[in-house]
Amino acid sequence: MSDAPQKQDVLVQMQVDLKRALEKPKDQRRWVMVLDLRKCVGCHACTISCVAENKLPPGVVYRPVLEEEIGTYPNVTQRFMPRPCMQCDNPPCTPVCPVNATYKNDDGVVVVDYDQCIGCRYCITACPYGARTFDFGATYTRGTPEVAGLIVGQQTADDYERAPSYEYGAEHARTGDEESPIGNVRKCHFCLHRLDVGMLPACTTTCIGRATLFGDANDPDSVVAGLIASPNVMRLKEDLGTEPRVYYLV
Amino acid sequence: MMSDKTHEASGKTQETNPLNPDVTRRTFLKASAAVGGAAVFLGALPEVQQALARLNAPATYALADPTNQIYSVCLQCNTGCGIKVKLADGVAAKIDGNPYSPWTLWPHPAYDTPVKDMATVEGGICPKGQAGLQTAYDPYRLVSVLKRQPGTKRGEGKWIAISFEQAIDEVVNGGDLFGEGHVDGMKAVRALTDTELAKEMGAEVALIWNEKDPDKKKALVEEFKTKFKDHLDVLIDPAHPDLGPKNNQFMFVWGRMKGGREDVVHRFVQEAYGSINMNGHTTVCQGSLYFTGKQMSSKWNAAKSTFDSGDKFYWQVDTANSEFVIYVGTNLFDSNYGPPQRVPKATDAYINGRKFAVVDPRLSKLAAKAWKWVPIKPGADAAFALGMIRWMLENEKYHKDYLAIANVAAQTAAGEPNYTNAAWLVKIKDGKPGKHLRASELGLLEAETEKDKDGKDVTVYVAKDGTKYPGDTPVALVEGKPIPIDVLDPEAAPVVGDLLVNQKVGDFEVKDGLQILLESAQEHTIAEWAEIAGVRESDILELAAEFTSHGRKAAADIHRGPSQHTNGFYNNNAWYVVNLLIGNFDYAGGSIKASTYDRKGSKKGQPFPVTTMFGEHHFAPFGIDMLRTKTTYEKSTLFDGTYPTKRPWFPIATDVYQEDVPSIGDAYPYPVKILMTYMAALPYSLPGGQKVIEILADTKKLPLFIASDIMIGETSMYADYIFPDLSYLERWEFHGSHPSVPWKVENVRNPAIAIPGWPDVKVWGEDIPLSFEAIFLGIAEKLDLPGFGPNGFAAGLPYIRPEDFYLKQVADIAFGEKEDGSDSVPEADDEEVRIFMEARRHLPKSVFDPDKWKAAVGGDESLWRKAIYVMNRGGRYQAFEKAYKGAQVANKYGRLINLYQEKTATSINTMTGKPFVGYTKYIPAGLSSTGEEIKHDGYDLHLITFKTMTMAKARGISNYWTLAVVPEGYLLINSQDAAQLGIQDGDMVRITSASNPEGAYDLQNGKKQPIEGKAKVTEGLRTGVAAFPLGFGHWASGAADQEINGQLIKGDPRRAVPLMANGAMQLDPVLGNVTLSDLAGGSAVFYDSKVKVTKV
Repeated sequence: MSDAPQKQDVLVQMQVDLKRALEKPKDQRRWVMVLDLRKCVGCHACTISCVAENKLPPGVVYRPVLEEEIGTYPNVTQRFMPRPCMQCDNPPCTPVCPVNATYKNDDGVVVVDYDQCIGCRYCITACPYGARTFDFGATYTRGTPEVAGLIVGQQTADDYERAPSYEYGAEHARTGDEESPIGNVRKCHFCLHRLDVGMLPACTTTCIGRATLFGDANDPDSVVAGLIASPNVMRLKEDLGTEPRVYYLV
Repeated sequence: MMSDKTHEASGKTQETNPLNPDVTRRTFLKASAAVGGAAVFLGALPEVQQALARLNAPATYALADPTNQIYSVCLQCNTGCGIKVKLADGVAAKIDGNPYSPWTLWPHPAYDTPVKDMATVEGGICPKGQAGLQTAYDPYRLVSVLKRQPGTKRGEGKWIAISFEQAIDEVVNGGDLFGEGHVDGMKAVRALTDTELAKEMGAEVALIWNEKDPDKKKALVEEFKTKFKDHLDVLIDPAHPDLGPKNNQFMFVWGRMKGGREDVVHRFVQEAYGSINMNGHTTVCQGSLYFTGKQMSSKWNAAKSTFDSGDKFYWQVDTANSEFVIYVGTNLFDSNYGPPQRVPKATDAYINGRKFAVVDPRLSKLAAKAWKWVPIKPGADAAFALGMIRWMLENEKYHKDYLAIANVAAQTAAGEPNYTNAAWLVKIKDGKPGKHLRASELGLLEAETEKDKDGKDVTVYVAKDGTKYPGDTPVALVEGKPIPIDVLDPEAAPVVGDLLVNQKVGDFEVKDGLQILLESAQEHTIAEWAEIAGVRESDILELAAEFTSHGRKAAADIHRGPSQHTNGFYNNNAWYVVNLLIGNFDYAGGSIKASTYDRKGSKKGQPFPVTTMFGEHHFAPFGIDMLRTKTTYEKSTLFDGTYPTKRPWFPIATDVYQEDVPSIGDAYPYPVKILMTYMAALPYSLPGGQKVIEILADTKKLPLFIASDIMIGETSMYADYIFPDLSYLERWEFHGSHPSVPWKVENVRNPAIAIPGWPDVKVWGEDIPLSFEAIFLGIAEKLDLPGFGPNGFAAGLPYIRPEDFYLKQVADIAFGEKEDGSDSVPEADDEEVRIFMEARRHLPKSVFDPDKWKAAVGGDESLWRKAIYVMNRGGRYQAFEKAYKGAQVANKYGRLINLYQEKTATSINTMTGKPFVGYTKYIPAGLSSTGEEIKHDGYDLHLITFKTMTMAKARGISNYWTLAVVPEGYLLINSQDAAQLGIQDGDMVRITSASNPEGAYDLQNGKKQPIEGKAKVTEGLRTGVAAFPLGFGHWASGAADQEINGQLIKGDPRRAVPLMANGAMQLDPVLGNVTLSDLAGGSAVFYDSKVKVTKV
């Protein structure tokens, strides 16, 4: 073979990195996400995978991908920008919470305690990145017909929407219309529940361009540590002093 | 009968009345959620303690447990990515990439990695794959057989639910089913039931076809009528016995069908029912690509001195290893077989400095990352390629040594993986290339008769020096001297021919294939080619220079874009020839082909040759097929020496989807009495679909129409009966592979879930899920068809359940392809067997009964464990490191590639009476079936289509998650055109054409669907072109109201969003009721229409 095969898929490499990081005490690791915009092909697999993983209802999106056309015909191109929560080290969203339901946890991830959140939505306004949305309790299948014996019908079809999400390591089944996280503000949490069992965030494993990279920035051997030292790295709205933990390669 | 059993998501079964939803599974789920563990107690604890309990709770992530995972294969498009279906209490809760599959990880891990070690590993799949849950759990899926309500018209949207038993009885026995008079059922149409008689008749028909003399042909027909005088009533028309038996008036048409189901359909339609008519959908996708491949792969038959049929297939680029790729009308970031397996390789390539160019009128997402985007004029692909070819030939930037190799012996000596006929001489008559010169024509060989080892007379060809050849041979010049080419014998004399020959040899004016190509490329200067293609001359020159700077590690990758034109065959051929000039076929980084493990058991030693196991007897169907693809007009008794024919014949293409329904409409070559469709969206997917609707709705033209569908779709809404099918998460199939995958593989789709409440039916005494398979098993039972039933495969080897067929195929794949079994997979160990069983604990017994599954592989413990080993991994995948041997791929195409196509050059276009062109040539796009230019007065915009990543043509509208990303279709239009037309971004516009001046689909019964949508003004599109994404603009599939048993099933406006503009596409002006077609390659034409766009 003309080209030496790369040793591993970067997904496998990062999972090995992750397992190494999990063996360290929490305060010695630093989760970061690197989005290589050169490799992002604007497919939105991350968006949908996140929706499926976290059972997000209509209107709640943790991981949108923005598309932009630049230039005039025929000198034109397109740019794609995934925009998860930046997991800021200096987050503007947490101080505004009147009940301390949102905070940076031991892992440095900005979390929402669904049991404490009263749904006031101050944090949505405070976030300069638009990373927070509110769960109004809708379902995608709402309003679809229910005719027993003839069609599958709404009540069976919503099984997958009612199936539990495992956010923050607990089961949240949307069996009713009121229990948390319904009525809560929701946001990206780097799939902490997956990290706990040695799995990468859902957006990362399904990234077909391999543009989403995740790991422990404190581990010099990790994939991400190498990348955030590149000269072409940037962060969004750095002037706000939010210190995002999401880096972009341009 | 319909079972009243309801399968609960937990795998438990409880008795409920399907008409009384009081006991819904919601109440059940609510009740069972309480058993979930710690959660049950939390409600009782004070808040602080609750928080502590949560903090201390062990990480619970049930989806990471291997017994909550089933590996299968996606079908959200046709890429066939391996998937891992993650289950929560039997509900498919999440889908991710199967880590064993080369589609989702690159490199893919070792196949023998224990399945439990893969529980937390997953690969990448696309957004459609992620949204697959919504295809399975679609509220609009049917769970009962539907019958058009008697007294209502087709397409009116009124249905009655009937039992499976009643439905089978009615479609088999016919009768006055709708109060519209008698309708023949499957039994009456199957007039010929004697399989021996069928064989005899078929043999006589073959004699008629092979007789060239018209008078003798007529005499043979008379002989046929005499010989079978007692059986003439079984024929469609005794005056034309070659139309075949009435059985042929049953036609089966499918949209997306994969291995396994395809094999079952073949068995049912052909070997059991005895009809010749089963047609796929190839030409609506990229048909001409397959059939260019077929002609370029025509096989030399040494004994007959002629070409046999090639393979219906195509080549793609080895994405990972190519140093420079020209993507032509192919969009691997949004579609194209497919993003998860090609994108990681492509992004890796360009991030590491490798260039690629995109030739496409639209700035696709792929083009956005390209070194060069060339917004070519639609349909002028061959002009661009011929410009490159001219430059390459004139500047000697082609692989001479490779192209000079003229036979297997020379190929072997040179260590090449394949060879071409570039050096074979072609006879030129009146300036036109015809057949290859044969050695006997020059007197180089003489025919002699000798005895073979069995004492039979055989003809051999002998040279003056006594060398024997297996037949008359082609000829090459070697240092100016004509030499017979023993093409296939590796021990024969290697022939390395002279290239660019143009002279007289003996009495013959001859050229070699390369000279013919050069002259075709020299029809225009490169500047002129650029003008025809609507590009700059420098575009051609720069791409040609780059393309020829990487040895054999450059390639042009083509797909739907160049294919779906009237000249699609020649566009594809031109780009393939660009590849051929650098000899990149079978090389790493070049053009490669797909390779799959044999699922039919056709290799020696494989346990179940399922496609040839029919019990005591079976049909060999005969006759002209409805699409006129399996024999030629000139051979048939319909030939009267005149052209054009009523509808075109297709001597090259098969599965000509756009011809299915119009041929029924014209009853040409004969009327169809029963049409059965499967996963087919004919009116929606085809250009000119409104004409399809007109015919499907007409009970006189089509007396009985049966559809298999998962919901009331754009096709099935016109059916008389709809049989609900299982979704891809509930069923079996073998998805095969795609050319850009260098490894040998087979993907095994197997049941991962059961929909709660899904009905069972009883066939052959067995409870099986209501499904596609149930239709065949049910009809076969009623008609006592061969190949089905207790002795369906052989005495004592039954075919009475779906898995009786499919698990045998899994066993064949597991066994592998070496007679001694040394290619077989390991047996699953006890731990893997446990995981396999537990992961399927939620499946009802009618779907998964371990004893019945094991019995399906003959009860053999070892085979059963091997089958489990394969299913635990979702398929079989060759090891990553086995794909290449040196600079070449391991799984080679490995034989003759026809630079010059004698078989094409000797095939007749029945609309003109002239032969097709057998070499690379620019033919303008958009011509009528008789080759005339079409006037488009007042219609100035060139309409094309594309795909977004979120939609796969007809299916996908049920996926609300992806609809949230791209909620509706739109008409892309360049800002310059928009300004001229006074159209602003977001304006609602109507699309009209000369073929559809109203700009609407006539859905019949007084319903119309306007061809309207919002304009999206862009810079990323060639001026003068308008484009829309496929997949939106539905008028069924949950988009519109339907009524069953008097109950309204309300349509969902989210599924009715615009835009579908196939209906505005150009119809063939000669035939009137069908889209334009590529008569050589068969493609339905999507890209040669001119439209007007007006603000509404």
